[in-house]
Amino acid sequence: MDHVDHILIVDDDREIRELVGNYLKKNGLRTTVVADGRQMRAFLESTPVDLIVMDIMMPGDDGLLLCRELRAGKHKATPILMLTARNDETDRIIGLEMGADDYLVKPFAARELLARINAVLRRTRMLPPNLIVTESGRLLRFGRWRLDTTARHLLDEDDTMVALSGAEYRLLRVFLDHPQRVLNRDQLLNLTQGRDADLFDRSIDLLVSRLRQRLLDDAREPAYIKTVRSEGYVFSFPVEILGASE
Amino acid sequence: MKFPLRWPRTLASRLSLIFLVSLLISHGLSFSLQFYERYQSTKNTMLGNLESDVSTSVAILDRLPAAERQAWLPRLERQNYRYLLGEGEPGVTMDETGAPIAVRSIDDAIGQDYALTFTDIPGPKKHFQAHLLLADGSPIAIDVTPTDMPLANWLPVVLMGQLALLLGCTWLAVRMATRPLTRLAHAVENLDPNAHVSHLDETGPTEVADAARAFNSMQDRIASYLKERMQILAAISHDLQTPITRMKLRAEFMEESAEKDKLWNDLSEIEHLVREGVAYARSVHGATEASCRIDLDSFLDSLVFDYQDMDKQVQLAGKNGSVIETRPHALRRVLVNLVDNALKFAGSAELQLAPDTPGKLSIKVLDRGPGIDEKELEQVLMPFYRVESSRNRDTGGTGLGLAIAQQLAIALGGSLTLSNREGGGLCAELKLAIVAPKGE
Repeated sequence: MDHVDHILIVDDDREIRELVGNYLKKNGLRTTVVADGRQMRAFLESTPVDLIVMDIMMPGDDGLLLCRELRAGKHKATPILMLTARNDETDRIIGLEMGADDYLVKPFAARELLARINAVLRRTRMLPPNLIVTESGRLLRFGRWRLDTTARHLLDEDDTMVALSGAEYRLLRVFLDHPQRVLNRDQLLNLTQGRDADLFDRSIDLLVSRLRQRLLDDAREPAYIKTVRSEGYVFSFPVEILGASE
Repeated sequence: MKFPLRWPRTLASRLSLIFLVSLLISHGLSFSLQFYERYQSTKNTMLGNLESDVSTSVAILDRLPAAERQAWLPRLERQNYRYLLGEGEPGVTMDETGAPIAVRSIDDAIGQDYALTFTDIPGPKKHFQAHLLLADGSPIAIDVTPTDMPLANWLPVVLMGQLALLLGCTWLAVRMATRPLTRLAHAVENLDPNAHVSHLDETGPTEVADAARAFNSMQDRIASYLKERMQILAAISHDLQTPITRMKLRAEFMEESAEKDKLWNDLSEIEHLVREGVAYARSVHGATEASCRIDLDSFLDSLVFDYQDMDKQVQLAGKNGSVIETRPHALRRVLVNLVDNALKFAGSAELQLAPDTPGKLSIKVLDRGPGIDEKELEQVLMPFYRVESSRNRDTGGTGLGLAIAQQLAIALGGSLTLSNREGGGLCAELKLAIVAPKGE
């Protein structure tokens, strides 16, 4: 029998958690709903889950705190999807810094939640990442660049911010998570298709050339992203993880 | 000739004028009074001296033997009159009425003992002579040169000094009185409740300190009202989100039907309004975001690519390679709102970046839509204002997009202006003053 993904839903609003639970169940997932951090801990003691959907604003221990706690403990590999009430860039960043894999702003559509859950699950399974960047405010350094994985932009040596479009960021992130590894176009396409899967409509080649431009990489003699004839691309630079304070 | 006497416009010049004129007049009056007083007393003393001196001198000359008189003359000579032996110079017989006062004094002193005749001696230095015959019949003349009252030559210097002192003190007093007022006016003009509250200095004279305190507390009150408004909007929106979430989730369990779609659209509309309301409240309250250095070209590129990746017709024209210091999320929000607006009314948008000019940055968002009636160009930047033609649901929106863009543009230290393009369409221009980043 196929593995059925088990989703744990943590939300203090009874109706919301039950509606979400029912919807996901209807769509072929296994779900468990709990009301707060205490119940969540108790449940996780006995049963491992595949993904946790968690509200940020909860009485008692809030989502951010629970998220950090999970990341520090034995569930650090369990993907977490945050539900936030505020559509604010800083909230998103804090959520991601606390170790969430994705976030969704309330009010959300259940089918959107389902799509995100599937995307996160696929992302974490597709290729076991060489680097798991989950701790707060991580920066990835390669060559003269640093990638801020929470604010999703590049920083050069002078701390000047170089913005990336959503697609560019996702592609770069895939490369940085799998350095020195040849990735073919299908893999890249799959890995970069996150939340905007249906909207994403650019060929990988075009994206790579844009990304090279962004990195000031010479297309004929690229230093960062090299073309591997008839196979795909490889990110050929060593990647280093920096702490939050840097 | 008639020239209009106008009351000066500034308080400083009015006060200066009042002070200076009144001080000058009162000073002038007291000076002339003193001068007159002194002149009178000096004159009396001088004439009194003249009388006794002339009668004594003439008596001495009368009694001296004729041969000795010449030797005595220098000893009898005074500063402005002297004695001459003989007939004296010829002159014009003096007119009784215009005679100097000294004539009367001499007449009083010796007129009873001697027959006197007075003559004016014309010349560059006007003087007169009194002629008389001594007892032995020899004539003598008294040559009198009337002088003005002696004035010390340091007096003008003192006068100028006083005048300078007056001017200086007036300027100081006026400055002291008007400076706090200017400062207050300046502070009120620059009052921006969104920006960081900067308090006026509450020191100085009581009135000034009171005014400053009143201004500061007014500033605090405005800030607290704004904060309250933001909190109310935020609270309402937050409390609305849970029921909207529930409703949306429930709607998804409904059977597919036209009713479901309508309900879904209504919910989305409410949701959008709530979000925009919060965004507006926040933009008014000012951004808390920290500014950082951004590469402008990549910033605009990424924004345009994000639209293109969603199959939206958005183009970017112009690069300028500059690095600017700004708050990226706020700037992005401004541009996104302008582009969304253009997409809504025209279906496509073009971003235009002006060439690099020091200190200034201009980003235009252009469309070829219907544009906005000239009369309404200002009003569309007001919150909840919608142009007449957009009253229908399809394009209506919340009426907050442009208002948010404008508030954020101001918060970024810039401005947003709308204009109609030649050939149709709207041009929204964002102008920013650029702080040159360090090390460039």
